[in-house]
Amino acid sequence: MKRKILSWSVLGIAFFLGMGQLKAQYRITGSIADERTGESLLFANIIIQNTTKGTVTDLEGKFILDIDDNNEVTLVVSSIGYLSQLVKAGPSNKVLDIKLREDATNLEEVVVTGLASSVKRSNLANAVGSVSAKELLGTTTIQTTDGALYGKVAGVTVRSNGGAPGGGLSIQLRGISSLAGASQPLIIIDGVYASNAYQRTGRASVSQAGASNQDDGANRLADINPADIENIEILKGPSAAAIYGTRANAGVIIITTKRGAEGKTRISFSQDIGDASPLRLLGTDVWSEAKINTFFPVARRAVELERFRAGSYIDYEDYFYNNQATLSNTRLTLSGGDEKTKFFISGNITSEGGTVKNTEFERYSVRANVDHKISRRIRVGFSSNFLRTDTDRGFTGNQNNAGASIGYNIAYVPSYFDLRPNAQGVYPVNPYFSENPVAVTDHGINNSLVNRFIQSFNLAADLYQDNSSNLKVTLSGGLDYLQNATKVYLPEFLQYQRAQANPGDILIGRQSSLNTNIQAALVYTKNLGKLNLTSQGGIVRLDFQNDALFTRGRGLVPGQTNLKQASVQEIESNSVSRISEAGIFVQQEANFDDKIIGTVGIRWDKSTLNGDANKLYAFPRASLALNLANFDFWSFGFINQFKPRIAYGETAGPVGFGNTFTSLGGANVGGLLGSVVSSQIGNTAILPETAKELEFGVDAGFFNNRLSVEATYYVKNTENNIQNLNLSPSTGVSSTPSNEAELENKGLELGLTATVFDAPKFRWISRVLYWRNRVLLTRLGIPTYIAGAFGSGLGTFLYAQGYAPTTIVGSPAVAANPGGFTFWGNNQPDFNMSFSNSFNILKNLELSVLVDWRQGGDNINLSAFLTDGGGTTKGWNDDANGDGIPNGRQRDPAPYNNAGRWVMDASFVKIREVGLYYTFPKSTLSGLLNGFFRGIKLGASANNLALFTDYFGYDPETSTFGAQAVANNVDIAPYPTPRRIFFHLNFDF
Amino acid sequence: MKSIMPLFLVPLLLGLSACNPLQLDGVVDPNNPSQASVENNATREQVQFLLTGLEATHRSYLVNICQAWNAFGRETWYLNASDPRFQTDWLGQAGRVPDRAYFGFGTTGGGSWAAPYQAIKQGDILIASANSSVLLSDAEKKAVAGFAKMIQGYQFMIPANFVYENGIRIDVKNPLKPGPFVKYEDALNHIKGILENADKDLAAAGTGAFPLRLTPGFASFNTLPALRQVNNAILARLNAYRKDWQGILSALNGSFMSLSGNLNAGPAHPYTGPPDAFNPLFYLPNAAVNTIIVVHPSMIDDATAGDTRVTRKFFKRNSPVVVTTDATPLSALFQDARWPTNTTPIPFIRNEELILLKAEAHANLNQTADAVAAINIIRNAAGIGNYTGATTSQALINEILYQRRYSLWAEPWGHRWIDARRYNKLSEIPTSYDKGTIFKQFPHPQAEVNWDKYIGG
Repeated sequence: MKRKILSWSVLGIAFFLGMGQLKAQYRITGSIADERTGESLLFANIIIQNTTKGTVTDLEGKFILDIDDNNEVTLVVSSIGYLSQLVKAGPSNKVLDIKLREDATNLEEVVVTGLASSVKRSNLANAVGSVSAKELLGTTTIQTTDGALYGKVAGVTVRSNGGAPGGGLSIQLRGISSLAGASQPLIIIDGVYASNAYQRTGRASVSQAGASNQDDGANRLADINPADIENIEILKGPSAAAIYGTRANAGVIIITTKRGAEGKTRISFSQDIGDASPLRLLGTDVWSEAKINTFFPVARRAVELERFRAGSYIDYEDYFYNNQATLSNTRLTLSGGDEKTKFFISGNITSEGGTVKNTEFERYSVRANVDHKISRRIRVGFSSNFLRTDTDRGFTGNQNNAGASIGYNIAYVPSYFDLRPNAQGVYPVNPYFSENPVAVTDHGINNSLVNRFIQSFNLAADLYQDNSSNLKVTLSGGLDYLQNATKVYLPEFLQYQRAQANPGDILIGRQSSLNTNIQAALVYTKNLGKLNLTSQGGIVRLDFQNDALFTRGRGLVPGQTNLKQASVQEIESNSVSRISEAGIFVQQEANFDDKIIGTVGIRWDKSTLNGDANKLYAFPRASLALNLANFDFWSFGFINQFKPRIAYGETAGPVGFGNTFTSLGGANVGGLLGSVVSSQIGNTAILPETAKELEFGVDAGFFNNRLSVEATYYVKNTENNIQNLNLSPSTGVSSTPSNEAELENKGLELGLTATVFDAPKFRWISRVLYWRNRVLLTRLGIPTYIAGAFGSGLGTFLYAQGYAPTTIVGSPAVAANPGGFTFWGNNQPDFNMSFSNSFNILKNLELSVLVDWRQGGDNINLSAFLTDGGGTTKGWNDDANGDGIPNGRQRDPAPYNNAGRWVMDASFVKIREVGLYYTFPKSTLSGLLNGFFRGIKLGASANNLALFTDYFGYDPETSTFGAQAVANNVDIAPYPTPRRIFFHLNFDF
Repeated sequence: MKSIMPLFLVPLLLGLSACNPLQLDGVVDPNNPSQASVENNATREQVQFLLTGLEATHRSYLVNICQAWNAFGRETWYLNASDPRFQTDWLGQAGRVPDRAYFGFGTTGGGSWAAPYQAIKQGDILIASANSSVLLSDAEKKAVAGFAKMIQGYQFMIPANFVYENGIRIDVKNPLKPGPFVKYEDALNHIKGILENADKDLAAAGTGAFPLRLTPGFASFNTLPALRQVNNAILARLNAYRKDWQGILSALNGSFMSLSGNLNAGPAHPYTGPPDAFNPLFYLPNAAVNTIIVVHPSMIDDATAGDTRVTRKFFKRNSPVVVTTDATPLSALFQDARWPTNTTPIPFIRNEELILLKAEAHANLNQTADAVAAINIIRNAAGIGNYTGATTSQALINEILYQRRYSLWAEPWGHRWIDARRYNKLSEIPTSYDKGTIFKQFPHPQAEVNWDKYIGG
């Protein structure tokens, strides 16, 4: 019954489309199937070339198309994931049997280019990166969306800050666009400007490490369920992202979630179960009486020798970092619909433990995406997503005095002293550091609970339509509301707490953020023979609201965590921000016969963050692509695509909230509140940072896309980069934000994809990506300075004209050098490469491997500095040069007291993803339970399977300061990165 | 196939254009008042808040000075196992010398340079705001100006002593046009001018209570005459650095010095706990921590038997604090015992110092009897009996310097470092306990050099 209705509706559509000229002269019928497997392709498109008239195949892959005259027609046949074909048909040739070939290189894929329009990848003039759902999660299960982007798109450098569960990664597209901000891209999910902010957790305040950038928090991209994602598009630089105007300096990542499809309701259930273990541990040094006599001062030796003789060997690294961690992911999706309404519903529970005790990540997600055709001309779509994440990230990283960091603490504890509790549960006092790390791990809490709701809607209405043109209006927008409740708690019975006047420390945070956006656009498409024109224009409005309140209680009633049970109750911080932005955009695209494709566009933006809130800043763009292989003169048959392209665009980066204010802060003293002159003078003439990018490249496909090559070279210059102009401190004010600096990024991106072997029983597709970026501070404007990390004694960064801002400098002082110190390295890598190989064996078995290589780039390794100071580095007591001084006190380079000791090459090769899957063949399934299952898939996979590096640390990818533009390579006692191994089970009904 | 625009979309589009989405309302700072709001016609409450703000900034230097300058003079060590640079860099181990961005001071000079100048700026804003307010009487304006100048005089001495011969800027009203560096002596004379103006203003303000509210740090000093006395005490301290011995004596005459009174009397920096800060020098006795200010072992080794200042100020721990460093490990058995709780205020100038200044002035003026009398007040209060040594000027000065080590131990000023320097006795400060070196002075912070380059180049 259902099939009959559908066939009727297909007929009905065909009839309807042909309405107005009721006489059909001849009828084309046909079927479309996959060339390799022979399976019918449902909902493939057949369109008469250069018109908007066409049809789709039905559930059996068959179609019917009526032509109104007796002329021959050329049909454009396409289906998602397959290479489209041009097929001639005529009265004498009206039964077509079409076979489509799988598109390994996604040439046919549709890519968003304007705010309201899209273009086929084969016509695209920009190097837009694209990651499909299969590429994202097809090999293994990744915890957070950003972690699934490693090595998949050239020019995208993803970097993990640490291995704690729940995310915490930074994404840099084509280098650095800002010195003041973190250079993170704009994230748009189904048209909603989603928050990917790093929110404060408060850990750095309780552990006294410093500011919130040492919280080791995760950004809010961790809340998103990666399994809901259909496709991610990455606009890597201003040449592609210009249409997004302000906020697009560091690129734009456009995420589209899965939507329903017409047909029988499909139910899919997946379960992943796995285990995490540390990817790499370093080991600790062995102690001996000789070493004790070398390491400890005379006054201390007697006590230590006694402890050594009485104690046994405890490997604290293993004890803290190598615990059982179970990983589990459960997904259930429903997808279906009819011709008017389509839905996609999903539920997901992620529960992943951490290799450190009492750390874990849980995510609950429920999504409902509905698309509905109100009428033939009006289409609406809604996406609703509720997310809840509960993260415990533990105590690692930096600390000052409070001892609340495992790695920092155990750096100083020799292996013969037992810190574990006795049978009565009493923790011994740690004589080597101010706190007992076992007690902190067992009883400390560092928790972040986020409830989030993302809602988006879009409406498209065709206002006018005829044979060659179409005018539609689109209205879209949405909101992203999140509420983050954080809690950092150190109970009163801990060693360090008992040494304080008010033992027990709890810091509770409540942060909420609401992003709303709305966009209205008109899109007019016109066919003029072989020329297709698309014009669009519209307006955008964005609003961002943030509220944060942190309260702290110290001196707690035993066992209590309520703030009213504290002797000292304090409002630790309270801040509010409101930002509004508005923009207008227009864009014109012209496509001549898929041979010449050009676009020009411009966006005007204003923002309340700028000095002048109502001044519009313009961001133009232009691009041109030539599909030379489509021209008639093209005679190289084996080259099926050759597309040189060039693109230019400008974008901006937002000014920080508050840069225009000269305010009086509040300071408490002696029971009174004082208004204190701020040390920063606001700049009421401040401008947004702007980036201009020129990108050119070539895309080529050989042997019918069996081999495809993509090469891009770009130059991205940012100007008006905001720097704090440091004033003379004797005037009582230390800085004012100023638009002084300019950066230049130059880079190269290369990609090669090949179907190396293509036979029915074995197929091997390989992809190699190479990218590199060179950044230079072409203008500083203010005097040369050094800043970042922990000062010149341990390695810091040089900001000097003509040098990369990521240059690492440090002691010894060299007066002749800019900045006055020795050059030790640079934290930007020389290049990145990734190798992705997927093998399809005997049709049902699939193996894929992704290897990620970063060459060059130096870290400032202060974990080694700590363990050397505490005598626990593995090999501390060895003596490489035989001069009687142990290596731990004599790290190269000579004279063994400068910053160069800690600047280390962080090159690495990582086997990021490996997956092996078996899909049960259809024949087996039809016999099983009477064909109850549509598909069953089993698999095993690993994430971060292996690490090859000379770097002396848990992971060369680490950042104690979180996501930073410059200082994102400082290694201080991080949470070791886990290796995750999974087994997968997937049922489709 | 043609079609017309569906009718219901018309009101939708019209609705959109009614609320103009392109209209942005400027955002006012939602979290703080603006500086512009107090610059003209400030209310009494706004001036009060600025005054309290001056008391807050007046305290910012304390942590840095107490941790660092007292270590430079080896009155204490700031042992910090979390960061070995507190030992290696501040004690000058392995040949380290202060540079323009030294550890603990940063490129702006931190608590020893930037913070005092911020207090000075706060004072300027306060004076300007009070003077432009129509709601304060002339006497009240003078009272506020006098108080502000007194604090500014105190604060100016800090960067002056930090860089010593390198000189400081004294014309600092315009953030984009600071004046040049002037010599140490000229700076001190400028400070004298400020303190004398403070005295004039306070005198013109009347003889009653101070018209605005002060923190408990000024609990015994919140009348206008009492504040003049505090001002004169600060002037006395300054005159010692100016080597104006007669000036010391005249300043002391107008100060709160009392030869028979409580030696600890004096205005203080209050610490009342959250939302205010805790006393940063407070550590629980015998705290099992490895970050703590400890008494330098030379204070114990050089002490006179029976000195009650030792028993009162130095607490003997059950076990020493030991911190290992690259150069040599440091071990200390005594910690600061002066603060009963973490909300005890810290005095910034006390009667005891005034009496010692009197002794010093007399000794330098060869008024031997007066000098010995003053010394004896201190000695007897410390239970070590009258002075019986030589009475040459030099011997008396040595005795006074020795007594200052114990009487003014670890005050928030760095007395030993400054005293040894002004009497050319830096070499007498012991370095044998830590294999370090004694610094003479610091160079101008990097940010100052950068600024001169920026406008000059």
